Amino acid sequence: MRARDLFFWMGVGFLGFLVVLALFGPTFRHHYLERVGLPFEPPGARFWLGTDELGRDVFARVAYGARVSLTVGLIVQGLALVIGTVVGVLGVYAPRWVSNPLMRFTDGMFAFPDILLAILIIGVWKRGMVPVIVALAITAWPGIARLVRTQVASLRHREFVQAAQAMGASTPYVVTRHVLPQMVGLLLAVSMVELAGTILAESSLSFLGIGIEAPDPSWGSLIDAARVNMNAYPLLLLWPCLILSLSIFALNFVGDGLRERLDPRSR
Amino acid sequence: MRLARALVLRLLFGLLSLVFLSFVTFVADELAPGDAVTVLAGEKASEAEKARLREQLGLDRPWPVRYAEFVGKAARLDFGTSYYGIKEPVIDILRRDLPMTARLAAMAIALAAALGIGLGTVAALWENRWPDRVALTLSTFGVTVPNFVLAPLLVYVFSLQLELVPQVWSPVRTLPDISYLILPVVILSARPAALLTRLTRASMIETLKQEFIRLAIAKGVPPARLVLRHALRNAILPVVTAIGTSFGFLLTGSFIVERAFLLPGIGRETIEAIQQGNTPVLQACILVTGAMFLLVNLIVDLLLPVLDPRVREAQV
Repeated sequence: MRARDLFFWMGVGFLGFLVVLALFGPTFRHHYLERVGLPFEPPGARFWLGTDELGRDVFARVAYGARVSLTVGLIVQGLALVIGTVVGVLGVYAPRWVSNPLMRFTDGMFAFPDILLAILIIGVWKRGMVPVIVALAITAWPGIARLVRTQVASLRHREFVQAAQAMGASTPYVVTRHVLPQMVGLLLAVSMVELAGTILAESSLSFLGIGIEAPDPSWGSLIDAARVNMNAYPLLLLWPCLILSLSIFALNFVGDGLRERLDPRSR
Repeated sequence: MRLARALVLRLLFGLLSLVFLSFVTFVADELAPGDAVTVLAGEKASEAEKARLREQLGLDRPWPVRYAEFVGKAARLDFGTSYYGIKEPVIDILRRDLPMTARLAAMAIALAAALGIGLGTVAALWENRWPDRVALTLSTFGVTVPNFVLAPLLVYVFSLQLELVPQVWSPVRTLPDISYLILPVVILSARPAALLTRLTRASMIETLKQEFIRLAIAKGVPPARLVLRHALRNAILPVVTAIGTSFGFLLTGSFIVERAFLLPGIGRETIEAIQQGNTPVLQACILVTGAMFLLVNLIVDLLLPVLDPRVREAQV
């Protein structure tokens, strides 16, 4: 087995663990919001990762962070995929007066630094999970749209697509039955890597204090809170940093592995 | 002249982006719940009072008029006054904060370019041998470890354990500024440096395979001169473009490090403005940060024809 394969399967395993953690972790042993012990208890049999400054179970809070990250990440990527695919296909098949301005707009949005737009949206709207999801979805779709556009533009002239068209198939039929299925593997792989970016962005916003609102924890706000007591209790800082970094690594490895497995051209 | 036309087009595109940016900033405020009147008149103000104030401030006019005014004022660096505190003009706040952010960004981009081009060149020269492996591993970490994880980690090691540098910036400083800024700059440059390493490596490997390099070797050009004058000069062009785009990561990072190290810059001001609902300050900060990003990319694009005669010849 090559090292790449090993990393791929380790990544898959870690993501599986993350899903289970997100589903059951926040209330498995203790509730993530309840003060169940003394402040700053060390890791042990009762509190696997110890307790935080208010005596809340760190394991449950880190697990809730996983739930936040996966929820935000999956919804944002889902929205970005839908919007990006529609815009990308329109960019190829729509009449010029639609596709040209649409793609210029997409390029403009793509060039705009993501975090600025997200901060602006959250800044004038409000804080919380919904604004974070909307802001990140608005910044995430242009990348997908550009990818879909170039892919569809090249697939459009392939024989099997031309053949379907020649047999009288309508454009929507050709796109949904012949063109898009060709791209599923690539899009899935790209989404994994983009998902890592979204999770990072959500954590960044929460770290800055404008993302998920307290008392609900997110990995970003857990890191921010742990910085205060960094000297005396560095372990509190370790857990969210560790799980976040591992998640980013895992998603990148899985994304690269998926691309290799599902997209024959990249081999 | 084609080059002149290309430059004018590039400038126009920059200007257009700036208009787009100002429009997004303006619209964002329009869509926001509540406006200046709700803040200035207070919660308890009657509807009649609010309407009068709205008329006074000119908020009852149609939005294209107000947008034109917004742009006109912003062009003269008039961003209004802060809603809170001593209600100081926003431009004074920017004047105070911009030097710190600009200093951080300039130092970080210089470090990232030096590290990225250096490591990338070394990796390409020893392709698939241990220096290459080390450079690639470092750059993988640089890309994947987020800066708000890197920040507490480095603070823990270098400030708390080794006590080499202060933990955070403070208004009263006992050491030279650089010892306060070294960690933020290193953290800020990690991601761009990693990306530039990968790009330089790829571009250099490609260049080293070309005919003119073989010719130079055959002619007996000394190795150092071969790498610096012949290979790197050709390989560096896509890297220069990437320095412009990676400036975007720097902006994101500057929000993080300014919070983590309590640095008084635009990033920290932006977050404060959001938390207070201080819209004029927020708008100005976003505009200025975005304008900085556009300016850096404009400079990079204008620099390319200077660096590369081929671009000069082939400008479209």
